[in-house]
Amino acid sequence: MPLGIIFKRALRDIRQNLVTHVMTTIVVALTCLVFIFFSVFSINLQRVADRFGKELAIVVYVKKDLAQEKIPTLYQKIVSMDGIENVKFVSSEEAFKRLEGYFKDEKEILEGVDPLFLPPSFEIQINKAVYNPGRVRSIASALSKWPEVQKVQYGKEWVDRLESFSEAVRAAVIASAVLLLVMAAFVVSNTIKLTVYARQDEIEIMRLVGATNGFIQGPFLLASFFQGVSGSLAALVVGLFCYEYVLNIIGQTGLIRSLHLQFLPPFYMVIIVLVSGIFCMAGTAMALRRFLKL
Amino acid sequence: MLSGDQVVIELRGVRKRYTRDIVALEEANLSIPKGEFVFLTGPSGAGKSTLLRMLYKAEEPTKGSIIIDGVDLSSLSKSQIPQLRRKVGVIFQDFKLLYNKTVFENVALSLEVIGLKKSQLATRVRQVVEGVGLADKLHRKVVQLSGGEQQRVAIARAVVNRPPIILADEPTGNLDRKRTTEVVALMEELNARGATIIFATHDDALFENTHRRVLQLRDGKIEEF
Repeated sequence: MPLGIIFKRALRDIRQNLVTHVMTTIVVALTCLVFIFFSVFSINLQRVADRFGKELAIVVYVKKDLAQEKIPTLYQKIVSMDGIENVKFVSSEEAFKRLEGYFKDEKEILEGVDPLFLPPSFEIQINKAVYNPGRVRSIASALSKWPEVQKVQYGKEWVDRLESFSEAVRAAVIASAVLLLVMAAFVVSNTIKLTVYARQDEIEIMRLVGATNGFIQGPFLLASFFQGVSGSLAALVVGLFCYEYVLNIIGQTGLIRSLHLQFLPPFYMVIIVLVSGIFCMAGTAMALRRFLKL
Repeated sequence: MLSGDQVVIELRGVRKRYTRDIVALEEANLSIPKGEFVFLTGPSGAGKSTLLRMLYKAEEPTKGSIIIDGVDLSSLSKSQIPQLRRKVGVIFQDFKLLYNKTVFENVALSLEVIGLKKSQLATRVRQVVEGVGLADKLHRKVVQLSGGEQQRVAIARAVVNRPPIILADEPTGNLDRKRTTEVVALMEELNARGATIIFATHDDALFENTHRRVLQLRDGKIEEF
């Protein structure tokens, strides 16, 4: 059957069963809304965790007795490692200057102290694009085994905590997503089933007058795709409105602003709309199956 | 189209059992040539509706074969069933109408499924609805019609796509004598135009003085009355 005819019949069906159609769309929208709220929360949580993690640097203290001419070689060696974004050499003198800056008005404390007593070091920034706590640990571990290196510091506890936190968030996201999908599947498929059951006489009559399964299914599937798409779009609009509203209330502080929170990425929104449409179509196809046997 | 003027409905040793004790048909044989009008009678529960349902493949026989227009129904795949049903117009005892839709929409359904163009469809529906005497109620919802009028809508829907075979399952069961006479006359007219008709009824008065063949279902067997 041509798509134009299916489209017209689907629109006619929607018009003639407007209340049922709107109710199903509302159920789809509410389900999507729960999913959207959860996604916005988890995505931003992940972003915050990543952001803090990316600010971490590894500090490699070089042995004091290392010959000065070996420093450039060591620098090149570090730079050539995977996942390194930036390396800065801090000489003993510069480290002393920083210490002086730290004490400011109480510089006299450092009087008589050898300006070379601090070991030279390299400050390493990890490439943000490939950052993860495990990588920080493996780089630090590799560096600590080098003979030129005296000590490696990278905020081990913080990285470990961040890693377990990120893993917990990820596990919670996956578990909740699965739970939500099961719940959504149950609610939406039952709502769709009720819609189809309400029209089972019509389906039976169509079959008895010689309608093919395609003729019967086409408009139902298209209408349910509309329901999925319009329901998820409505949920995205409401979700975005709520997000902006909440951000206006809590987002005035510098801390919140510095976190650069965001709503769902556009690609994610497109996926939600498409999956919702396809999901509703699949639910309708399953509900129709029992009426189209013989 | 049906071929030639040979037998168009044939039952060969058909048995239909629901359980060991509930038998609708037992070794039933039947042969109806093209263009014949037969009455099918028998008490309520004798298996008239079951027999008709098997003819449009809404039910399967337990044993035996049913041949419609030379095609053994057991050989039809699921996707071929709609083609069979377009050849067989069925008037149901309980009408099976869409009550929240108009007369036009109900009758047009049989033509929509065969993909008739909108302009042709409207003309054909008007002609047929006029033929059953409901021209002035074309855009009324079926729920607003009387029982007799609803029955005529069901007849119009069954015949609008000009099927060569019409199965009428107690089409006058809910009608008064005057309406019953009208429906029988309508069926006679369709038969005169070439349709093969099986008219199932338990109302003896309808075939008391008829020259038509009357088949009776008794103990699962089909007998000439």
